[in-house]
Formats: sequence, structure tokens, C-alpha cells
Amino acid sequence: MYSYIARRLVFGALTVIGVSITVFVIMRILPGDPLVAVFGSEGFTKLTEEQRAGLMKDLGLSDPLWLQYLNWVRDIAAGNFGKSFFRSESVADMILRRGPLTAEIALLSVLISWVVGIPVAIVSALRPNSVADSVVRFLSILFLAVPGFWIGMLIVLGLLFWFGYRAPMTGAALFVDPKANLELIIGPAIVLGLGQAAYIARMGRSSLLEVVREDYVRTARAKGLNGRLVIAWHALPNALLPVITLSGVLMGLVLAGSIPVERAFATPGLGFAMFIAVSERDVFVMQNLVFIYSVVFVLINILIDLSIAFLDPRIRLR
Amino acid sequence: MTVITPTVAPSRLRAFFSGARTLVRRAPLSAFWGVIAALIVGTAILAPAVAPYGPLKSDFRAMQKPPSEKHWFGTDQIGRDTLSRVIYGSQTSLTVAMGAVLFGTTVGALWGLACGYFGGRFDMFSQRIIEFLQSFPDLILAMAIAMALGGGLPTVIAAIAITRIPFGGRVIRSVVLSLKEMQYVEAARGIGASHARMMFRHILPQCVAPFLILATTHLGVAIVIEASLGFLGVGIPPPTPTWGNMLSDALNSGLVPPWWLVFFPGAAITITVLSFNLLGDGIRDLLDPRLRGSV
Repeated sequence: MYSYIARRLVFGALTVIGVSITVFVIMRILPGDPLVAVFGSEGFTKLTEEQRAGLMKDLGLSDPLWLQYLNWVRDIAAGNFGKSFFRSESVADMILRRGPLTAEIALLSVLISWVVGIPVAIVSALRPNSVADSVVRFLSILFLAVPGFWIGMLIVLGLLFWFGYRAPMTGAALFVDPKANLELIIGPAIVLGLGQAAYIARMGRSSLLEVVREDYVRTARAKGLNGRLVIAWHALPNALLPVITLSGVLMGLVLAGSIPVERAFATPGLGFAMFIAVSERDVFVMQNLVFIYSVVFVLINILIDLSIAFLDPRIRLR
Repeated sequence: MTVITPTVAPSRLRAFFSGARTLVRRAPLSAFWGVIAALIVGTAILAPAVAPYGPLKSDFRAMQKPPSEKHWFGTDQIGRDTLSRVIYGSQTSLTVAMGAVLFGTTVGALWGLACGYFGGRFDMFSQRIIEFLQSFPDLILAMAIAMALGGGLPTVIAAIAITRIPFGGRVIRSVVLSLKEMQYVEAARGIGASHARMMFRHILPQCVAPFLILATTHLGVAIVIEASLGFLGVGIPPPTPTWGNMLSDALNSGLVPPWWLVFFPGAAITITVLSFNLLGDGIRDLLDPRLRGSV
């Protein structure tokens, strides 16, 4: 088990290094000239030669690329995420202020996806091809197709139109103002949660259908155990393992999906900050945010792998 | 005076029709959605003939009007017809999605072919790169690339295509790995076939089915990513209508966007993605039932 954990962690560290290089290549090298990315090709031509040189020097862009990369990594390691090109707030402060909201949305959405997805999977796996199963399957296919941010916009419009309700526009911390906080996160969490629930229901259904055919489930039935108990005690725990892994993969969907969804709900979270960074072409903020999002994604998947190893002796002992 | 009948075309046509017939018989639902998908693609191609107005033509006497007989889907803030914009939007959305999926899956598939065939250090190195690419959530990677390269049709296609490469690479690599052990491949090697001949003549044809399945199942994802990019302002820039930037425009129009500007573009995305997904499911079941649920 320990060697597995160690291997996974070393591998994770390598992945983070690889991710940082990939981010650097995309954000700094691909645009050719980062100033073009910031000012747009039109704005760039309006800059004089001295202005360009001055900006390049201020931003540390005239150093060789490998030095720029090392400087960036050193800054991040020191917790210095730099400042927005357009705003005075440092990126670290912005993450501390906005991050919790997005984290709450992500957690609540995972909770919702399980609470909705698993019962649905059980119902449809126990009676395959029944009416309920068909309805559930169609709904999950539908939810796979609907863009979350569109549902978000419709919800905001509907609430406003029929109930004259609008979620608060300013941030509210969980422990300072729980009610306003809940009002902020519930919409995005439901939208993102239902999107994941569709995948979870689909995966849970097929995984449960497979497990139910196993010998040990037949044995449990043969010894006279009540049908529900067989499912709850014997079938479900094993059927849920792939679903846990899927939940980790789906975190990518949640982290990325929260960007347009937060825009649709005007939620003042980190996703919204990312939207602002993108629309202002704030390369430096974007670079750090992309890196942070990806590191979080990598870490979550390491956690998932470790918990799967903990839950499944077959992996632990390999 | 002999009439030379073209033999290739009719047989291909017949193969297409027999395939379509099998699809209708075995998966009527998929066939139905296949027809819808064909209609959507047809509308996109024939947009100038189908759309009642031009996508950029504003009617200043009908600004931000709800759906009416003249404008079925209403008009936007500067009096452009929403129906026409949704129809023209399908052109951009489908071009981007199909271009990205075709390009990304092809590059991925060729890469996967090389990885699976040569193995060794090249494969190790490639797998690491693919893992790094997969450590990014799709949309975030696409956003970063689209932002770095600047907006526009080719860059958006490239940005989405890059997010599709790992999938093609992984799937085709595993197919090739199992094909490599087949006896006919061994036999080809035995009679001294070159690497290129082995790869393209003997192995590649077997990868066509998984490739088609991958491509169709990823079309829907590509459409959603394209719409999200448009919505976040890094997709195709306005005034060219795309479903994503129409939704973005609606939100920019004021605190409370009119419902028809929100409803119709989103419904177009949903129906298109739904039809491609269900058609993809049907094609997958038809071509290779073993892959059910795996790709």
C-alpha cells in the first residue's frame, strides 16, 4: 500500500511539472508575442517601439524563455501568483476571496450528482428495459447534451420572471452569511450536479448490471437474503468503485463547467474570474489560473486513486 | 459500342443504403435522430436558401421584438432576426465541431498508430505527453489555447482539436496493440513487408471502425466546447453568429436578457448535440457492439 501511495505521489509530482511546462508553452510561447495576446494585434501596432521594450522589461519578458519559466515556477512555489495586468488585486488574494465559493459549488454538485445519480442507477438497473429505465436513460442522454450554462441562464430568467427573485450579486462567505452563500451556490451546484448525475446514472447502471450477475450476489440471494439487502450490502459497494473513479474524472467537467455556469448565474467565484481574465486577455492571470485549476484536477484524481486503492484490496495488493 | 458502367459508385451507394437500412431496422431511434442530424447539417449547408433574412441584416423598426409571424424566433437588440442567426450559427458551429473532431481524432489516431506499432521509448514519451494533455479539463485547455492564439475560425478549430488528440491516441493505440499480435500481421512481417506497408496497409484499415465511432461520439462534445468558448468570448468573434456568442450577446444586452434570445440558440445546441450523440450510439452498436459504453 505504501509503495503504491509513494509511486502515485511521485507520478503526481511529475505530472504537475509536465502541466506547468505545458501551461507555459501554451500561454507564453504559442502567442509568439505575449503583448499581442494582451493588447490584441490592433492595439499592439499602436504601441511605440520604446513602449514595447519597456513593457517587455517590466513584465520580465525580455529574459530568455527558460529563465522566464524558472522565475514563474519560483514565484508560484513562493505563493506569489502575480498581479492582474488590469487590476490592483493580487491573484493570490483573488483566489482566497473567490476560490471558496467555487470549491463549495464543486463539492455540493458532486453531492447532488450522487444523491440523484445513484438511486436512479439502482432503479434502472434493477428493472432493465422497463418504462422507468427507458425514461431515466432518455433523461440522462438528454442531460449529457444540454449545455449547463444554458440551463443556468434559463433558471435565472425563470426565477426572475415568475418569482421576481435574483441571487445576491456580491460574494458571501459560508460562515459570515450562510443564507446568502447558499443562495449563491445552489443554482450552479444544481446545474453542474445534474450534468454529472447523468454520467453517474449511466455508469452506475451498467456497473450494477454487471455486478448483479456475479457469483457472490447469487450466493447471497441463495442463502435467502432479502433482495434489497443483497443490493445494498453486496452489490452496491462493488458497483460503486468505478463510479468513484468516474466522479474524479468528472471533476474536470465541474471545474471547467463552472466557468460558463458561473458566468450564466453571475456568481462571483473563481470561474467568473477566469471568464474576466479571458475576456480581458489577461495572459498572466490566465496562466496562473489555468495552472491552479489543472493542479487541483490532478490532486483530486490522485486522492480518488488512493481512496480506490484503500477501498479495493485488489489494487492495494498489486 | 459498349457502355462502361461506373462500378464503384453504385456499389458504394448500395453499401451506404444497406448500412442505413440496417441502422433503421436495428436501432430505429438512432435512425430517427440520424435523420434529424442530417436535417441540421442540410440546413447549415443551405443556410442562405433556408434563412428568411441575412444573419447581419438589422431591421431598426423591429428591435428586440418577441417571436411573431415575421420573426419566428424574435429579434435581437439591433433588430437582427434570431431564426436566421440560429440557422447561420449552425454553419459555424458545425464547421468548427467537424473540423476539430476530424483533425484532432486523425492526428490522435496516427499518433496512436505509431505509438502502438513502434512501442518502446517513443511510446513511453508519447504517453506522458498525452497524460499531460489529459491533466487539463477539456474546456480550460481549449480556452487557454484559443486565447493564446487569438480568436478566429482556424484557431478555435485547432484549440478544440488539440483537446481531442488524447482520446484518438489512446483508443487507436490500444486497438493497434492487440492487432499487432494477430497472425496476419505476423505473416506480413514474415514475408518482409516494410513498416509503412504494415502500418498503413495491414493495420490501419482495422482502425476505421473505432475511428468512426470516436469521431461521431466526440462531435457532440466538440459542439458544446465550441458553444462554451463562444459564450466566454474566446470563440469566433461577433458579428459572425455562433450559438455560443449569441448567448453571450444576450447576456451582454442588459441585466435581464429577453427569453427568446436565450432559449432558441441553446435549444439549437441541445437538439444538435442530442442527435449527434444518439446517432453516434447507433453507429457504435452497429459497427462494434463490444465497444458499447467504452468509448
